[in-house]
Amino acid sequence: MSLDYVKFSGGFEKFMPKEYRDMVEHGPFGKKISVSQMGSFKEILEEHPMCAGCAMTLFIRLAIIAFPNPEDTITVGTAGCGRLAISQAAIPFVYGNYGDQNGVASGLSRGLRLRFGDKPKDVVVMAGDGGTADIGFQQVLHSWFRKERFTTIMLDNEVYGNTGGQESGMTNRGAVLKMAPLGKKFEKMDMLQMAKVAGCAYVATVVPNNPRRVESVIKKAVLIAREVGSTYIQAYTSCNIEYAIPTDKVMEDAKTVENDRYQFTEYVSDEAKQYLTERYGYKDYLPKAAAPAAAIPTQA
Amino acid sequence: MYLVANISVEICASKSCKLCTQYCPEANTIQYSETMGTDKGFKYGTAYIAVDRCKGCALCVWVCDTLAKNNAIKMTMIDQLPMAAVTDNIRYEEKTTVAVLSNPMIVIGN
Repeated sequence: MSLDYVKFSGGFEKFMPKEYRDMVEHGPFGKKISVSQMGSFKEILEEHPMCAGCAMTLFIRLAIIAFPNPEDTITVGTAGCGRLAISQAAIPFVYGNYGDQNGVASGLSRGLRLRFGDKPKDVVVMAGDGGTADIGFQQVLHSWFRKERFTTIMLDNEVYGNTGGQESGMTNRGAVLKMAPLGKKFEKMDMLQMAKVAGCAYVATVVPNNPRRVESVIKKAVLIAREVGSTYIQAYTSCNIEYAIPTDKVMEDAKTVENDRYQFTEYVSDEAKQYLTERYGYKDYLPKAAAPAAAIPTQA
Repeated sequence: MYLVANISVEICASKSCKLCTQYCPEANTIQYSETMGTDKGFKYGTAYIAVDRCKGCALCVWVCDTLAKNNAIKMTMIDQLPMAAVTDNIRYEEKTTVAVLSNPMIVIGN
């Protein structure tokens, strides 16, 4: 949980694999890195067993680059595709039982505050739509109602992709899947409204076909969660296997879905706006330029 | 044999949009080098593929053709590539990387 763990133990340097040496010497730890520098530094994420062309992996890759202090971050996940990549990053990863990721993160985030005081230690939950909206739903909502200070990211592929294609709460109505041959009979859950009702300080939807936007959204969510309260990001990360999207058309699909039902929306509470402006110098939320931030109506 | 992405240095180093580096789902697979373009007399650096990490999804081909409209990336059978970069031969520098190209069939075949 500090730059101290990103170094070689005395005398072991020459025995470490090349990837590890590159990570220590040319990784992003302790530096300011942005997506525009991708391809020129060693990334925290390493090789992983996710499918070729997976949009979820692209999102995870961008999210890990966007963490403001990767050396002071712990990721928490649960069963699902996402954990196959998140666990291959040089960031501590906690893998709970299915659905308890927000409960684990609540305790972790409180414990880190007791141990380290004001020094920021970020906890980021990254779980799929099943882990967040179905099986972990109760713990997710309770952590938001308790205003636990960590970020929850839903990797929404709209299906249980890891187990053969069952419908999830986030699947669209009428979608026919391998393990849901009659089509889903209910509407997609509106987690965004629920997050706002539960009092999240920051709620955003994002699609990975805009890397700079993903970076900006993740940074804001992690920074706000340090002091203000729970933050929630819902990311459309298509499953090209279960929805039979050719791998070279994954971004085309993301673009279509973004225009259709996954437009970029962002809700920032007044307290969070003030915090970002005063503490981190964000200029978007100054009184004159407040309009772009209020993309989601706040009547929730 | 299997397909991997192959970037044309001639086209890439004259445009240098770097979009493909931001859209590849694999980490440290599409790398960027300043010197590998400028050393050959082009205006900018070039992106290149670490072929041992490429899973052949061709997402970068769509990005290069449709978003950037450069048409610099083609999918190529790995044994048809005379020279390519592999992770072991990539060196990181201050703000760029440099790769020593070699025959991928010999390096990966080991």
